[in-house]
Amino acid sequence: MSSKVHLKGLLIGVVMQAANYALILIMALVVGAAVILVSGKNPVDAYIALFRGALGSPIKIADTLDRSSVLILTGLAAAVAFRTSVWNLGLEGQLYAGAFASAWVGFSIHGLPSPIHITLCLLAGTLVGGLWGLPAILLKLRWDVNEVVSTLMLNYIAILFTAYLVAFPFRSPTAFMPGTETLDATARLPRLMIPGSVLNIGFLIALALAFLIFWFLYRTKLGYELRMVGFNPQFAGYAGMPVRRSSFLAMIFSGALAGLGGAVVITGFFGRFISSFSVGYGWDGMVISLLAQNHPLGVIPAAIFYAALANGALAMQSATGVPQALVVTVKGTIMFFVTVQFFIAFLNRRLRQWMPSTP
Amino acid sequence: MPEAVAMLNITKTFPGVVANKGVNLVVQRGEIRAIVGENGAGKTTLMRILYGLERADSGTIRVKGQEVRIPNARVAIALGIGMVHQHFKLVPSYTLAQNIVLGVEPRRGPFVDHERALREVHELSARYGLTVNGEKKVSDASVGEQQRAEVVKALYRGADILILDEPTSVLTDMETDELFIMLRRLAADGKTILFISHKLREVLEVSDNTTVMRGGRVVGTVKTAETSDRELAEMMIGRETVEVPLREEPAQVGRRVLELEGVNVYDSRGIPAVREANLVIRSGEVVGIAGVEGNGQVELAEAITGLQPIACGRIRLEGREIQNRSTRQIRQAGVAHIPSDRNSTGVALEAQVWENLIAVDYHAPPYSGMLVLAINRILSYAKDVVTRFGVQTPSLKSPTRNLSGGNVQRLVVARELGSNRARVVVASQPTRGIDIAGTEAIRRMLLEYARRGAGVLLISADLDEVLALSDRVMVMYKGRLVDAGRVDETIRQRVGRLMTGAEP
Repeated sequence: MSSKVHLKGLLIGVVMQAANYALILIMALVVGAAVILVSGKNPVDAYIALFRGALGSPIKIADTLDRSSVLILTGLAAAVAFRTSVWNLGLEGQLYAGAFASAWVGFSIHGLPSPIHITLCLLAGTLVGGLWGLPAILLKLRWDVNEVVSTLMLNYIAILFTAYLVAFPFRSPTAFMPGTETLDATARLPRLMIPGSVLNIGFLIALALAFLIFWFLYRTKLGYELRMVGFNPQFAGYAGMPVRRSSFLAMIFSGALAGLGGAVVITGFFGRFISSFSVGYGWDGMVISLLAQNHPLGVIPAAIFYAALANGALAMQSATGVPQALVVTVKGTIMFFVTVQFFIAFLNRRLRQWMPSTP
Repeated sequence: MPEAVAMLNITKTFPGVVANKGVNLVVQRGEIRAIVGENGAGKTTLMRILYGLERADSGTIRVKGQEVRIPNARVAIALGIGMVHQHFKLVPSYTLAQNIVLGVEPRRGPFVDHERALREVHELSARYGLTVNGEKKVSDASVGEQQRAEVVKALYRGADILILDEPTSVLTDMETDELFIMLRRLAADGKTILFISHKLREVLEVSDNTTVMRGGRVVGTVKTAETSDRELAEMMIGRETVEVPLREEPAQVGRRVLELEGVNVYDSRGIPAVREANLVIRSGEVVGIAGVEGNGQVELAEAITGLQPIACGRIRLEGREIQNRSTRQIRQAGVAHIPSDRNSTGVALEAQVWENLIAVDYHAPPYSGMLVLAINRILSYAKDVVTRFGVQTPSLKSPTRNLSGGNVQRLVVARELGSNRARVVVASQPTRGIDIAGTEAIRRMLLEYARRGAGVLLISADLDEVLALSDRVMVMYKGRLVDAGRVDETIRQRVGRLMTGAEP
């Protein structure tokens, strides 16, 4: 056991990962450029506009960070579940359920001091998001119902049920779109001191949770159990770990994080619950988690990158006329190369040629 | 009689394992040839090569005198070779007749001629006394009937060389008798039968000649009429006399540490896997369980360690009943478990070395508090056991996948024995697939553990291992544990007889 060998291995690992992501990004931008060229526009102009829109000024950067808050939370939600091999595809539904709950607390309770009101809103979102995962995991543990199917179905129930709620019982008469009344000012997340930007403490909450989840997964007994169950449930059971409890907790925690994501985006950005407010925050969370290899700290850059793409795409469309749907192509290409691990295999081969001594 | 099949000098290696080493097998037309050997002896691999499911690394195959290459099963079928697998390959929602003609259906115009299919299936099965009701659905047919349908399916495709892989393992005694009558008729009609088994009595009953395989080689081929189950068993498990045992002195046995009383376990399909097992292990003692794999050994180990529920019976650890407690409670009470499959059960290959080393002890002081793992304490403990048990790893934080098989097993042993807490060690196939140095080391660790006062239950398909380490030997056969007594000069013969189902 020489620590030198270990350090060398670690260094190679870090360099490989960086090179891997760089190659993936370049490849995705090349594919995107080809699509822009085919549609008769100039890819360089489009990419410059995209970059400016995402990160071109302090305000733009702050807005991108704001957009990443909810994505960090849904990314963490996915990471906790996927690490435990619990395939929670219900993040979108859990996000909606949590968002509505926090909005309800936000507009129907009055006269509370702001810190308490905010805390209640976020807690309501967290709680209801977690509860929304409950039926799926109970069905799985009791009757071995595949959670992939049940969580997907729960998405529809949450999205359509909240749509009904804001179309009828909770519809604000003054609202232009189906939505609830606006939240009390005491329930809104305070802005961070960047004039002109919507960035608020939701981002700091998301960052703190990423570190908290990291600590939980890698430093606590429960987190260790979740990861071992995720690696190999048969091994975990053989060693005496509570396998079923771990699956249960992973699903509930995952739903709670997605619900908190919904609460943060409602209390921080929208200020009221609007039917179909989410532009796929839950779905993006899964992709972000995969991009981060299900690592809680990796979720932060992955989510910021996704937020930048989304904000940049809007700017690109208005500046150059390249449709923002192009960004979907770029995202898709990235996911393709991430999931097939194409460059990892390539780099592995190359590294072995350069350094024949590496095992 | 003319030669039907000749497999000459066949060698086949899988990554890390030599499945067949220079195997020769020549079978005449109309012969029933039994191929016997322990699990892992290479019987099935040899037959899969003949049927085109595996390709040999070297060697030649002749079928009916012609040298042939068999790259896939379609070629094998064209050559007149048919195979009935241990697990049937039938479509459950189809009738037996539909399954039999599947892919080669008689046609009338573009349509399947069901009438003719049914008629042909009926004629073919009647000819060999195979009662197959072609109109019955597979899901409604008995196991024996499904097997007969598989045989008819092969015949329907023109097979005159039939391979049967462990055909009796799924049959009742009566169905087995029927199968044998059918096989004799087929042979009398000039068909050649290759019959894989490890049940020696059946082999003696039905075959003309018997080929015995061990460790990927053919040990010998004998005329069945001129041999006995005892001779075959000795060929199967090796003739070597007990080597100088690793044990230097007889065990200082103390009080009872583990007792099993009338333990019954059902497997996942609800079939009894362990029947009325009784067992006593005393402190300082190694009790070996020999037997052909699949006779309930896995279920026995899992029942003791809380991984399988016990239908009835008692298990006592130092006098305290532990049956049907949770695995964690049983481990806490002092049972260590080296599982038979280290990669799927013994470790999480993706986890780091230290994470695997602490997987049993992590949840209590001094390795964790209420909530948080004491990582530094865990790492220093892990470093200590890695040194003590000689686990070769680049670092404690390496992924376990990077370790060799022998080192993964050392890691498992280190975790199970490293804390010195266990009163009983259940060791299943502890040295399977491990190099000689690792095997030596692990055997010494087990003996050392017993010497210090624990009881060791050693379950192994390797009879030499059982005999080298054990004070007493028991044999498991069809879920029953039979005592073979102390290890002495005649133990090998006694075990050989019991392994094949002879009465004690």
